Amino acid sequence: MSAVDVPKERDLVEYRVDRILEEANTDTRIVVLARQDGALDTFPIWVGAAEGNAIKLALDTMITPRPMSHDLIKSFAEHLNITIQRVVIADVKSSTYYAMVYVANKGVERTIDARPSDAISLALRAPCPIYITQDVLKRRSTTNLDAWLAKLESKDIGTPEVQET
Amino acid sequence: MITQMQVKGLMFDPYNNAYIVVLRDEEHSDMLPIWVGKSEAGAISMSLENVTPPRPMTHDFMKSLLDAYNAKVISVVITDLSEHTYFAKIHLMYEDSEYTVDARPSDAIALALRSNAPVFANDSVITKQSSEELEQWLENLKPEDFGKLDS
Repeated sequence: MSAVDVPKERDLVEYRVDRILEEANTDTRIVVLARQDGALDTFPIWVGAAEGNAIKLALDTMITPRPMSHDLIKSFAEHLNITIQRVVIADVKSSTYYAMVYVANKGVERTIDARPSDAISLALRAPCPIYITQDVLKRRSTTNLDAWLAKLESKDIGTPEVQET
Repeated sequence: MITQMQVKGLMFDPYNNAYIVVLRDEEHSDMLPIWVGKSEAGAISMSLENVTPPRPMTHDFMKSLLDAYNAKVISVVITDLSEHTYFAKIHLMYEDSEYTVDARPSDAIALALRSNAPVFANDSVITKQSSEELEQWLENLKPEDFGKLDS
């Protein structure tokens, strides 16, 4: 990664994982990120069921009997004294988000390409902050998103849209 | 004592709606089946079939992290079977020191395949396994059951 591509601090907006939604009928989950500073903005990312579950386990601080894959990654980092500094959702191409995981060991910093699901899963376990670049925030697709999310949420709390009489 | 095992393939177990990673020793005298979930099976299958996904999967990322600091996976060992859960150890070499990290066998195998590291099993695990009922069930499996991952 060249220096030109590294997002500057002012270009980053911090988000947190707000919740995980299950999409009905498909094997996908939606990770809803919300602004850490409380500003009203949500950023949804579609992930696979397994990836969504891995994030949910961390979000709910569930302890599994055996280490899950991201617990193992964290364990590697701990054994080797690698600090997971931050994760950045840094690009979007053809509706696919690209994440970067920033790590450091004795002052040697590295950036590792990751899917957002792995990056977020790891960020929750590290723990470390999650950022989205201003560039990605500008270029995201928001078509019908709010309406669609609202519909999902109403399902989520068990209120049927049409009640039988 | 430990025995080196080859990862022979994956099978779908319709009774438990799970996948089985089949390990065999080099002389093909012992077989060790390990039940794993769908996503874990997928991670192993991609390596077995040399599939390069467009984006790094979890174990590719795991390997990238180790590569970033020149940490090498020396070997993995399936160490224990208790309450039908397997335990594994991943042996790493980093800056002239060896580290042993606790892992699930599925993660250990997925990482070993990506690192070209050997997979071993404790003999006690192999013995325990062959004493169980599933041996007979496995003996009845036909070669065509050892297909590619059904997903």
